[in-house]
Amino acid sequence: MLTYLIILLDDTSVSFCHYPVPEKERRLIALDDLKAGVLFAMKENLNVQFVYPDYELPTAYTEIIDSIDHTDIVPKRLGVETDVIVMKGWDDDVPEDCMCILHTTRQQLADNLQRVETLLSKISRLNIVLTDVETFKDEDIDSYKKTLGSLSDSIVKLYQNGKNVQLNLLTDRMMLNKMNNCGAGNTSVTLAPNGKFYVCPAFYYDNEADSIGDLKSGLDIKNKQLYQLDYAPICSHCDAWQCKRCIWLNQKTTLEVNTPSHQQCVLAHIERNASRELLNNIRDYGTFLPEQEEICEINYLDPFDNKDKWL
Amino acid sequence: MNIKDSSKAWQEGIAKSITFIVTKDCQLACKYCYLVGKNEKERMTWEVAKKAIDYILDCEEDFREESVVWDFIGGEPFLEIDLIDKICDYLKIEMYRRDHHWFNSYRFSFSTNGINYDSEKVQRFIQKNREHLSIGITIDGTELKHDLNRVYKHSGAGSYKDVVRNIPLWLEQFSDASTKVTISSADIPYIKESVLHLYSLGIKEVNINCVFEDVWREGDDALFEEQLVQLADAIIDGDYYTDYTCSFFSESIGKPMDPVRDNNNWCGAGRMLAVDAAGNFYPCTRFAGYSLRSKKPIIIGNIDDGIDSNKLRPFLTLNRMAQSSQECIDCEVASGCAWCQGENYDAADTNTVYQRATAICKMHKARVRANNYYWNKLFRKLELAGRRDEYEKQKQKVKEPIC
Repeated sequence: MLTYLIILLDDTSVSFCHYPVPEKERRLIALDDLKAGVLFAMKENLNVQFVYPDYELPTAYTEIIDSIDHTDIVPKRLGVETDVIVMKGWDDDVPEDCMCILHTTRQQLADNLQRVETLLSKISRLNIVLTDVETFKDEDIDSYKKTLGSLSDSIVKLYQNGKNVQLNLLTDRMMLNKMNNCGAGNTSVTLAPNGKFYVCPAFYYDNEADSIGDLKSGLDIKNKQLYQLDYAPICSHCDAWQCKRCIWLNQKTTLEVNTPSHQQCVLAHIERNASRELLNNIRDYGTFLPEQEEICEINYLDPFDNKDKWL
Repeated sequence: MNIKDSSKAWQEGIAKSITFIVTKDCQLACKYCYLVGKNEKERMTWEVAKKAIDYILDCEEDFREESVVWDFIGGEPFLEIDLIDKICDYLKIEMYRRDHHWFNSYRFSFSTNGINYDSEKVQRFIQKNREHLSIGITIDGTELKHDLNRVYKHSGAGSYKDVVRNIPLWLEQFSDASTKVTISSADIPYIKESVLHLYSLGIKEVNINCVFEDVWREGDDALFEEQLVQLADAIIDGDYYTDYTCSFFSESIGKPMDPVRDNNNWCGAGRMLAVDAAGNFYPCTRFAGYSLRSKKPIIIGNIDDGIDSNKLRPFLTLNRMAQSSQECIDCEVASGCAWCQGENYDAADTNTVYQRATAICKMHKARVRANNYYWNKLFRKLELAGRRDEYEKQKQKVKEPIC
């Protein structure tokens, strides 16, 4: 069920997920399109997420934005206190108890473990977006396990000191009971600065012609079912519930929105298994999430390798 | 008494099918042909063929099927008989030299229009590879029916006479040979006489199917059903059912399908492999550019970089439920309703193989009604003759052939 409307306020709005924002001129969404987008969200009962560029918006825009309950996703450079801050590179200077998004490569992450610990001690939640999922190789498995192991040790330490830590790669799976990942095309759609709807911002930046409707004629999502879990044969047999399951990366790597790449599956399962270890380690120090079942041990990193059992 | 079963297929399910698209040229321009991009330029070179073979045999670990069918397709494959002969010699030598697990578990397979079947070169090739060969000649039935569609590309003249003269030689060399008949809208009135004509030529197994494309006109289903009922009468009244088969009639079709137990994909795309003159790999020939009307080809790799396994994942995890509409899932006569993954992709609203094309729906339902008639009539005849028990005892489980 459609629940969220993401509104890209400008062509240079910050990326909050796997997609890169191409070098583009500023193009602010037309004021009438912004009004129409907000009206659409109100009528369809959608939660709105505004994604900001790194410059200040005209007052007429902020007035419309403030006319609806919403979440702001803002680049750190804008320097405002907000719901979600997107960091540009490694930066410890963030407001306390905020939620941050950090884009990084696996190597950069491995090289900055202490800075992650510092951030986690300060903010309420850190979402790490790996920007090099596609280049992951099976020989990188051990190094990623090691990185997550170190982060896991930091989290245990912070928990012991009474800090409630949230790091998407490791703590989300501990708290979930079902898949919770990319809802593009299913629970969320994106309104782009050109006044058209897209599955997500990545589809807009990839090809403007790939729209799924506009503000005048409404949404027209062809093969909508393929964005749902039931129509994703691999994902519907998977319990790496924290996996980003990026629809755009799926399309890019396997040519189908409902099919993840081997790399995405393996990364998600390394994270799942590290979450299992983390949960067990925290529970060594006392009761923790007592209502949550243990995460079971599995002997595969890609559910595709198990397909003969469920096909 | 022996009622013929059409389900036999060489190493079905355990053989890898690898197709060389050796040419996109053909002497004919059949009106129903799905190959929209045939041309005289794209002919495979020996260098491309050798590189493809070396890649496939080098990657033995990735091709674990017990057996292999080396398939040659066009256009018309026998236009490139010199290249094919060289490819087959190289394959045999290399499989032997490498002690490859496919050595002595391979077959060379051809679908040909039959026009140059009796040429010296083709005949020499057949003699050389006789023990590892299957060849299907396409003949559509009577001269009228055949020439309705299967015409020469330059003159537009029918090709029946040039094909039928080669049928006795073909049957002499391959006594169990079968033919494949394709039905489009204009062919419907000729189905019964065409199948009987093929039987009269000595072809005992007629594999026949309606095209998957959206070509059907108002009333075609009723005409089709009527033709099949007449064919059923002719086969049963003429006692052809003891020695001949026609794939339109099968006990297993027209039943509801269980969403869990019967969730397999129909089509083998992705489990097969095709390579074209440019050295690109495809999940099946139907995904090559010359087969597609409205979509880009799906290239899963090439002879230089190998196969991108990520691009095979959607094919290898496809199931019936994930690509079917609710109407198809709930259909009470679903079994035996086939699809072609390539046509699904070509006809889909988005660039996906997960949307089943349903243009064939009304034709399948008509086939089911005629099929029900066929088995009811046949079983009643057998019962009245006291031979029903005998039939049930010798009946083998009939499996629908997969693409």
